[in-house]
Amino acid sequence: MAQRLDAALELLDRQLVDKDGQLAGKVDDLELTDPGDNPDPPDVTAILTGPAALAGRLHTPVGRWLAKAAARLLAPGHQQPSRVPLDQVEAVGASIQLKVAAGQLDAGAGEARARRLIGGIPGAGDAAQ
Amino acid sequence: MRLSELLGAEVVDEHGHTVGKVHDVRLVQEGPRPGGAGPGLRVEGLLVGRRALGARFGFGRGADRGPWLLKALLGSAGHDGRYLPWGRIRSIQARQIRITGTAGDLPRPEPLGEVPLHREQTEGSWRVRR
Repeated sequence: MAQRLDAALELLDRQLVDKDGQLAGKVDDLELTDPGDNPDPPDVTAILTGPAALAGRLHTPVGRWLAKAAARLLAPGHQQPSRVPLDQVEAVGASIQLKVAAGQLDAGAGEARARRLIGGIPGAGDAAQ
Repeated sequence: MRLSELLGAEVVDEHGHTVGKVHDVRLVQEGPRPGGAGPGLRVEGLLVGRRALGARFGFGRGADRGPWLLKALLGSAGHDGRYLPWGRIRSIQARQIRITGTAGDLPRPEPLGEVPLHREQTEGSWRVRR
């Protein structure tokens, strides 16, 4: 038997957790790929994460501007969304468990830069951990 | 295509009448795709309605769970959801989805849960935990 799930209710905004239990971003969007010439429905081929992915969900000019500004700050040079191929997913539940370490994914770049920025603020202590 | 291009898109029937907006995209999780290209998660159809409040609380998806008072308030008054099978879509352009047939012949959403497999399921597929 196969399982049904509703994408917005059960996937969007869920936390990505890598194989070591480290946070690796959130599910900001999904990549849907047409299977080709046949009339089959699209397949989900990747989870998209990061400010560049979030920008695509915001359909107001202010929202898009904010997301682009965050993308420039947190992930310079990453104007395309970070992709987590679906074959890197271990399980879907309250969070999305990944089979790999966050460092092996380009999705970890924005998270790492945010930690460095926060860690550099005087008095941050272990807030960036 | 991205999921965000479908969510919130307006659905219009073959007579040009608005059916509602896309509140969610129903997926079905199957085994790995032929050729070993990873686990399969395929779009099955769209949940469409005019009123979004109940849908955002998870009502109108076939098997509503939760306190009866919320079900009474949101389940009936807050959602008028219909299920749009993917095969009924004629075109998707500029956040507008044109379908064959009319709103009246779209079914109510079926409950979430298990469905018969379309593709062979093999070891190594990931799993959904609820």
